[in-house]
Amino acid sequence: MATTASQYPLNGQRPNIPSAAVRLPAVADYEQVDREIIGTLRPTLGWFTLLGIAVLCLLIGITAWMYQIYSGLGVAGYHPPVMWGVYIITFVFWIGIGHAGTLISAILYLFRAGFRTSIYRCAEAMTVFAVMTAGLFPILHLGRPWKFFWLIPYPNWRLIWPQFKSPLVWDVFAILTYLTVSSTFLYIGLIPDIAVLRDRETNPVRKAIYATLSLGWRNSDREWRHFTRAYLFLAAFSTPLVLSVHSVVSFDFAMALVPGWHTTVFPPYFVAGAIFSGLGMVFTIIIPIRKFFRLQHYVTLNDLDAAAKMCLFTSMVVGLAYLTEFQVAWMSGNKFEQEYFWNRVFGQWAWAAWIMLLCNMVLPLSLFSQRLRRNPSWLFILSLFINLGMWFERFVIVVPSLSHEYEPWQWGSYAPTFVDYSILLGSFGWFFMWFLLFIKQLPVMAISELKEVVPPKRKHPHPDEFEHSRDEGIAHPFITGEHELPGGAH
Amino acid sequence: MPGIIGAFVEIDSAVEAIEDLRRNRFNDLTVYTPTPRHEFEHALEPPPSRVRIFTLIGGLCGATFGYWIAIWTSRYWPLVVGNKPIASWVPYTIFGFEVMVLIGSLATVFALLALSRVPRLTMTVGYDPRFSGGHFGVWVATSPDRAKEAAELLRKHGAVEVRHEA
Repeated sequence: MATTASQYPLNGQRPNIPSAAVRLPAVADYEQVDREIIGTLRPTLGWFTLLGIAVLCLLIGITAWMYQIYSGLGVAGYHPPVMWGVYIITFVFWIGIGHAGTLISAILYLFRAGFRTSIYRCAEAMTVFAVMTAGLFPILHLGRPWKFFWLIPYPNWRLIWPQFKSPLVWDVFAILTYLTVSSTFLYIGLIPDIAVLRDRETNPVRKAIYATLSLGWRNSDREWRHFTRAYLFLAAFSTPLVLSVHSVVSFDFAMALVPGWHTTVFPPYFVAGAIFSGLGMVFTIIIPIRKFFRLQHYVTLNDLDAAAKMCLFTSMVVGLAYLTEFQVAWMSGNKFEQEYFWNRVFGQWAWAAWIMLLCNMVLPLSLFSQRLRRNPSWLFILSLFINLGMWFERFVIVVPSLSHEYEPWQWGSYAPTFVDYSILLGSFGWFFMWFLLFIKQLPVMAISELKEVVPPKRKHPHPDEFEHSRDEGIAHPFITGEHELPGGAH
Repeated sequence: MPGIIGAFVEIDSAVEAIEDLRRNRFNDLTVYTPTPRHEFEHALEPPPSRVRIFTLIGGLCGATFGYWIAIWTSRYWPLVVGNKPIASWVPYTIFGFEVMVLIGSLATVFALLALSRVPRLTMTVGYDPRFSGGHFGVWVATSPDRAKEAAELLRKHGAVEVRHEA
């Protein structure tokens, strides 16, 4: 093809970049990293506008919740047999979003996948805020939300304890542990970067705040020695944790004797779906940040390509799980299961199931094309479809099962009300409010880890560190994404 | 202890200075670096970090507590269902695991802070804001009678600035 020669500079071959060999050829030195990443902290009119929209959405959600507390849960559209609806769907959706952050920051750290360096801070922050959002929904779903602490085991005057065989109590432990560990992981990684901000800040108030948050970090060899070990162990703890949390969430369903729920495929299916949806949200967040903060030379096309491959892989795992559910129902000989899955794709809720299948199974197959994997605009559009598809996946799990159980007289329907929609909107407002505040107060990329990738100044240049700049293939704009830089910002 | 701080622009200059200082029996050295570099680890040859001991103890305590709280509360309010065991270890493994991760992680963070000696209220003598930017710092804790020798070694290897601090 005529375009091949210009698109693939390595004598027409497609580049095959080892994921560990992350290179930032457009970043010259440590000072440039400091300057450009700290430069993203200046608030802009666009940021204030987005923050205003997020707060407005949150206020709508809070108002709806107040109305629900005053009027009772009935205003949320629940009536037998569907007593779980938008709140539980959205709870699982946000928990899932949170998984990609830990995958990128912890699991890829253990696997030494270099492309995580530029995107993991955003993904980690996303995790913390997504889990904070998810944690609200079981409370919103309570008739008396102010009694939520009864789920926590503590000595009390009633001399009663939670039922430790209940999946709802498993959830409490899993989510609180996940929130604590992911917040800790985020903060520990931030300490050296906050020290950089402390040392560059001129405003005395902000400097004092950064000095407090950095805990007096001074980049000594002793601190780094313990830091790298502690970071490794936290990553090692987070890796099984991330797999356990969504498995535990899946038990909320799998432990019940409801058609479509009571299946052993749920834990791996939920974990793969969570990582898939989280990667979708990572694209939704990182692509605009990369564009508007002009950070294309940090989040290169290689990074997006590698993340898109993971997205494709998890999409295929999720697709396999969807098909496995049908196969299990078909081969089980259980007519209730068979009827449920027939109803899922051809019955009352077929429209939701087909949205799910289209967004999660079909559209991600486009990522087999390298050209599309390296196209940020397509990745962004696709990510919106993935977010939509994954919300509908949870809808398809929750609502059709409850509305179509064993006996026909039990069958019913479900329609969310304006309270459900308002609280759903409010959850997005809550999440994006925290995220927008985060990106203007703290570095959106890990400064100290980016510096690990950038070669330090040397009296006698190291041969390995020159390799990539001499290598025509690696340094070519096609690989680095430099050609995207507006006005040669690098 | 008083000492000398040397600021370096090039990493290999700083490494050579450290090696030379150690050869000359200046062993109380602290290196400031904007990012962890293996070159300094090789030059300083520090002992292994003891963070792992805290992690192990924290994890074991957490797992024990997670199982214990579930088993103890089950026995405190025994609910016999279908002649099944009152304490069921399979679901309780969730608590054992989650609390192991929780306490193990918090113990790791505690170890990081305790062993790194943070939080600290004031900056250590010799620290310079450039060391979180692009410069490398080598702090030599030494008595005043050997300060001149240390300063000369730092300058010889290309320190852009050498300061006496007390």
